[in-house]
Amino acid sequence: MTNDKRLHKIPGHTDVEWDDKHSDEFRGNVEETGIGFMGYDWDSKEEQFKVYLHYDQLYYWKYAEVSKLGKGFVDGEFWGTKCPKCGDKFFPPRVNCWNLDDNLEKTEWIQLKEEGIVHTFTVAGWSGKSSLKRLPFILAYVIVDGCKTAIANELRGIEPWEADFGMPVKVVWKPKKERQGTVTDWHFEPADGWKPGPMNEEKERIKELCQPVIEWVKTMK
Amino acid sequence: MSRKVCIAGGVATPFDYPMHITPEAMAANCIVETQHEIPDFTLKDLQFMVYSHFSVHFGKQLCPEWIVHDHLGLVGLPHVRIENGGNTGGSALFGAFMAVKSGLFDVVGVYGWETMDNVTQSQGSEFIALASDTRYEALAGGIYPIYYAAMAYKFMKDNDLTEEDFALAAMKNRNYAADNPGAQFYRSDYTNPKSPYYKKTLTVEDVMESRLISYPLKKLDCCLMSRGGAFALVTTEEWAKKHAPDTYVEIAGAGLSSCTIRAGDRIDFPGWNKLYGKGYPDMTEFGACRKSGEDAYDMAGIEYKKAAKEIDVAEIHDAFSSSETQIYKALHWCDKENIKEFVREKQTFLDGEVPTNVGGGLMGYGHPVGATGIMSALECSYHLNDTAPKKHLSSKTYVKDANTGLVNSHAGTGTSISNFILRRP
Repeated sequence: MTNDKRLHKIPGHTDVEWDDKHSDEFRGNVEETGIGFMGYDWDSKEEQFKVYLHYDQLYYWKYAEVSKLGKGFVDGEFWGTKCPKCGDKFFPPRVNCWNLDDNLEKTEWIQLKEEGIVHTFTVAGWSGKSSLKRLPFILAYVIVDGCKTAIANELRGIEPWEADFGMPVKVVWKPKKERQGTVTDWHFEPADGWKPGPMNEEKERIKELCQPVIEWVKTMK
Repeated sequence: MSRKVCIAGGVATPFDYPMHITPEAMAANCIVETQHEIPDFTLKDLQFMVYSHFSVHFGKQLCPEWIVHDHLGLVGLPHVRIENGGNTGGSALFGAFMAVKSGLFDVVGVYGWETMDNVTQSQGSEFIALASDTRYEALAGGIYPIYYAAMAYKFMKDNDLTEEDFALAAMKNRNYAADNPGAQFYRSDYTNPKSPYYKKTLTVEDVMESRLISYPLKKLDCCLMSRGGAFALVTTEEWAKKHAPDTYVEIAGAGLSSCTIRAGDRIDFPGWNKLYGKGYPDMTEFGACRKSGEDAYDMAGIEYKKAAKEIDVAEIHDAFSSSETQIYKALHWCDKENIKEFVREKQTFLDGEVPTNVGGGLMGYGHPVGATGIMSALECSYHLNDTAPKKHLSSKTYVKDANTGLVNSHAGTGTSISNFILRRP
């Protein structure tokens, strides 16, 4: 069994030593304050009581057998995987083939061209707390370099109403010092030479829907 | 395996944001109210409890079902919690169905709840986004309405639909919710003088004019964040006949299926390619809905192409107006050729072929995730046992002479979906 090539390697207990550390570079030394009560409210008429609870935590996400992806992002490289049996290509990478006929065949790492085609997209006018100031933005699902999957990321470099289905895009990296080994290290932009199509009724409609969002974001601190 | 499984009865709390009642008190309320309809039923009848709760983040409490179970005095009774994203309620119901169908238990309680009003709306969106693939999607600024919008936009294009076509479902479900006193839209908007929708019958224009969430979805195309609970009593036919002859309905079909976590991974998935042809469901439809729907239809003896005719009333997972519309197609109620007519002829309105979400749905009644699928099953059963006029404010939202109902519960970007066929005994 131990010779089964499909098994993923697990380093020994003392093998991983992190000789290249960057943990405090981005937000400083994040302090875990743990659970704490921060105040209370009282409604005397309805006799309702409420407390404020704060809790924050730091996670250690180990990429393990997908580490090549994270290091690749830091180095400005796109690494996907390919099944040696059926040839299916994956980005995001799958380290075992998804095809049941291939019985968990271990995939091989391949470097991908940093280009793709927009499969579908949307123009976001609302998002999670950490993304509100970026609104409005285009989130596109892009098939990178002929993969069998599409990956979601932001499409920048054009007005939100200018995107199109099937448009070719390229990958644009953050400056190397700002990269963290995550999908936020890069975004999509239109491929060189691509020009937006003429405005039409639908694009005008999206533009109109975006205006209050643009105004709202200006009022945010 | 021939024993029949029934929903003997059950009750949902009102859903609202915010609402001031604890999860355990909501459970107690639901059980007390169930006893009003099934006077014989006591907590001592329960043999197994299935708890339905999605996110422990909202309560900052792991294993919150232990608090509820303990509070109800059920210590000693076996219990499990089922968590399956937006399909948590449907999955818990599926679990209870299996428990009774297998012969292991005769009387099973299912209680679901969520307390999403414990955090701000945008923080809540971010919590829910943790059920998407956080490694690749949530970080890129994605939250569920954005993923759904990307799927809806492609579905709209591929099927030649418009924003207005989606808006019909948004308008319909909220207007029906205005006739349902437990519904969040009724509580927080329709009867709230401070709401722009106070005593207002919504129009497609209202939906079109609401703020952009993610094109083509606007605020009124999206469901609500809620606090709420729901309880259903799942039993053998024998128990139901004896103790709940006036309220019980049969679970004649049940299906549960799954799909990829990331919507972008289902444009060429080997399993779906084999089952439904290359490329299905793409990023436009829900393979897990089609599969679980077909499994439920098979169990209930319903021919796929006749499903719309056979189903008299449905409660489906309208997290977004677009997903309701996508579900019509996944469940074989219409196809690419006639979806436009199906939608524009209002076939899912009260006077149409398949009255859908007449209880208000997720957009009108609300979506406290763990309670939602159970609420949907109960709302559907109210037409099969003729209690709808009593449960709702009037008979306007009562589907008379309904014999067959469909209940749909849906998670992720279509990642887990269940469907049930309910029948009047």
